[in-house]
Amino acid sequence: MNRWILSCKKATELMEKRLLMDLSWKERLLLFMHTSMCDVCRIYKQQSKWLDEVLFRHFNDQNDKKITFIENDDLKKRIISNF
Amino acid sequence: MISETDKSNPTATLTTWVSLYADNLYSWALFKTSSKETAEDLVQETFMAAFQNFGKFKGESNSKTWLFAILNNKISDYHRNHYCNPTIAERKQSESWKDVSNDVFFDSIGQWREDQRPFDWPLGAEEYLDNDEFNRVLLHCMGKLPANWCSALQLKYLEEKKGEIICQELDLSPTNFWQILHRAKLQLRKCLEINWFKS
Repeated sequence: MNRWILSCKKATELMEKRLLMDLSWKERLLLFMHTSMCDVCRIYKQQSKWLDEVLFRHFNDQNDKKITFIENDDLKKRIISNF
Repeated sequence: MISETDKSNPTATLTTWVSLYADNLYSWALFKTSSKETAEDLVQETFMAAFQNFGKFKGESNSKTWLFAILNNKISDYHRNHYCNPTIAERKQSESWKDVSNDVFFDSIGQWREDQRPFDWPLGAEEYLDNDEFNRVLLHCMGKLPANWCSALQLKYLEEKKGEIICQELDLSPTNFWQILHRAKLQLRKCLEINWFKS
């Protein structure tokens, strides 16, 4: 493949890499060119951002009703017996 | 009445804390690790650490908050270790996507496969996250990922640390952290599309 054209696979990978570290100027340029031409990757980009928000909130809502309260009496006994 | 925190008697105080908070801590650990055994171990370790460091506990802070802080550190450590040293079965599963011909999402030249192209959804995180059914689907989809990919996701979204720091800590891993995240998100996205947006 032409080294000045990104594949969709590479482009979507770079979107992820960008969230963690700085891209080189070449990577930024190629990613910009790809997303301005590729409708599918533009949709993916939006959904990926959406997923970031969903996952962030999913993992960080501590006092949420999602968590099922479970009693574990055996565990309590075991811990107390170790003191 | 026995006070909840008696600084002069660690054993009695810790015993009271176990009966008050162990179930909350256990439920939280189970939610974060999806493993009964792991959750039990982490809660036990949390109380052991609290016992050993009881002298450092500042009476004025809330004991529940203190215990949760210890537990959350242990959960992060667990995910870090688990991500760096996945079991062999998990490693095989998560590495199989490196085989290009086997890639479900992209063809041999890296273009989206026709049936894998994302279609447009109505977005809006607020409304979905308040929906029990959506949360159920989300948990179901996360459950289908290899366990060490889930650990990678937890590390990314749980910790307030910068990605670079996580990557340095995880340099034992065979694959770049962001490549794992990319793969995990592709699968989650697809699973949500099928089970939530299309149904």
